[in-house]
Amino acid sequence: MSESAISVKDVKIRYRMMNKVSFFRALVSRSTYSKTKYFEAVKGVSFEVPKGQILGIVGKNGSGKSTLLRAIAGIFSPDEGEIDLHGNTISLLSIGVGFQNALSGRENIYLSGMLLGFSRDFIDEKLEEIIEFSELGDFIDRPVKSYSSGMYSKLAFSITAILETDIMLIDEVLSVGDAKFKKKSYAKMKELISNEDRTVLIVSHSSDTIKNLCDNVLWIHDGEMKMYGTTAEVLPKYDEFMK
Amino acid sequence: MKRFINDIKKFKSYTLYAAKSGMKAEVAGSFLSWMWWILDPLLYMLVYSFVAVYVFGSREPYFPVFVFIGLNTWQFFSKTVKAGVKLVQDKKSIVTKVYIPKFIFILEKETIFGIKMFVSCALTVLFMIFYQVPVNWKALWVIPLWLLLFMITFAVTTIVTHFGVFVEDLMNVLTVALQLGFYISGIFYSIETRILPKNELIGNILIHCNPIALIMTDMRNVLLYDGEPHYISLAIWAVIAIVISAIGIRTIYKHENTYVKVI
Repeated sequence: MSESAISVKDVKIRYRMMNKVSFFRALVSRSTYSKTKYFEAVKGVSFEVPKGQILGIVGKNGSGKSTLLRAIAGIFSPDEGEIDLHGNTISLLSIGVGFQNALSGRENIYLSGMLLGFSRDFIDEKLEEIIEFSELGDFIDRPVKSYSSGMYSKLAFSITAILETDIMLIDEVLSVGDAKFKKKSYAKMKELISNEDRTVLIVSHSSDTIKNLCDNVLWIHDGEMKMYGTTAEVLPKYDEFMK
Repeated sequence: MKRFINDIKKFKSYTLYAAKSGMKAEVAGSFLSWMWWILDPLLYMLVYSFVAVYVFGSREPYFPVFVFIGLNTWQFFSKTVKAGVKLVQDKKSIVTKVYIPKFIFILEKETIFGIKMFVSCALTVLFMIFYQVPVNWKALWVIPLWLLLFMITFAVTTIVTHFGVFVEDLMNVLTVALQLGFYISGIFYSIETRILPKNELIGNILIHCNPIALIMTDMRNVLLYDGEPHYISLAIWAVIAIVISAIGIRTIYKHENTYVKVI
């Protein structure tokens, strides 16, 4: 087996069923955090993803897939366990990489790029390519709030697709925009994914997508790992289960 | 500490770019809205000058400049702190998509309000020229004073930002507190000439225990009245600002992962 790009070790992620408190309650009861109930979204998952692999993550709604993905992206740290990315850069491809609505598409490209950890010079270099891929034309200099939802996701997709990272996490965005752009983004996705150095994690409910793209599949059920193996092995059982 | 410095380096260009484009968006919003960066302090200055001179009978040399310095200092502080309350919530679209140290948002806000403050400072300078205020090398003290203002504001805002995520009605409490701060900081009256002679204890408390009042008073002293800043009190507040900032940054680092789950 080749070197691994992502190591997830016994990761547990809890959500505090926390409501916001009022100022006076916070004053009276010193411990605002302690009385809260916990909800465990991910209950001890461990797996390794070798470099260059494409892993599909499946499971029903609310099974903890997106939570896991966000934890891997570093948006929040697991409450227990470890996630090691072995120094790889990572980006979470999901609709709208933190766009600021009042700003133009162009400015949002810079902001998103910088948030993903790219230097300004690098984004300068890639700017034209992103704009071209997004097919936004003149809209690129208009504020993002004036975009249609299709344009919005086209831009989001283009940014993460062109500004490549070592590891890409994809959360249900393979179908973006109109039919033509869908085809184009799917092709781009395949191109990105087929790069042997890139590790990709895809969360999807579409068995077809998973079947076409992924080497391995991780099946999560109620926050626990139900199965982990090759696509041919896991997917039929998952489909059977979901019927 | 090391992490803090690394994060600042890493997100420096983001902070500056975000601040710049944030201001640009504000300006793009309406025609001539940048005029408000100048009009706003100017009009407030007129209002408070009127109230102070005709209602309360304040008399200070170079009064409009006096009010200007006070207002600028106060507005920077209070606007940043107020922005802190909803900061994480407002940046929800970013916070839920990528990791970013949350105090970066505070620096972004401070940059925006700082630039606005400098714009109205230009106005202050114009007024100083108009009133022919004699200026000497002591005026250079404004630079460390600004730095201290920046540090204190950062320190307070880190704490406010953290609790702003969890405490729902923090804004109500803070608004009242800032209102109090506005009146006791001596923006349109001089604590040194109006309160200190009457009641030395209260006057000293008002100047030395409130860093914003201290900075304001000293800024006026060095710019307008050829006076000395309160060296020792300033140094003490610098230390306090660093300590509170350290606590605030630690708290944010420790809890920022739960922010995403609450907002």
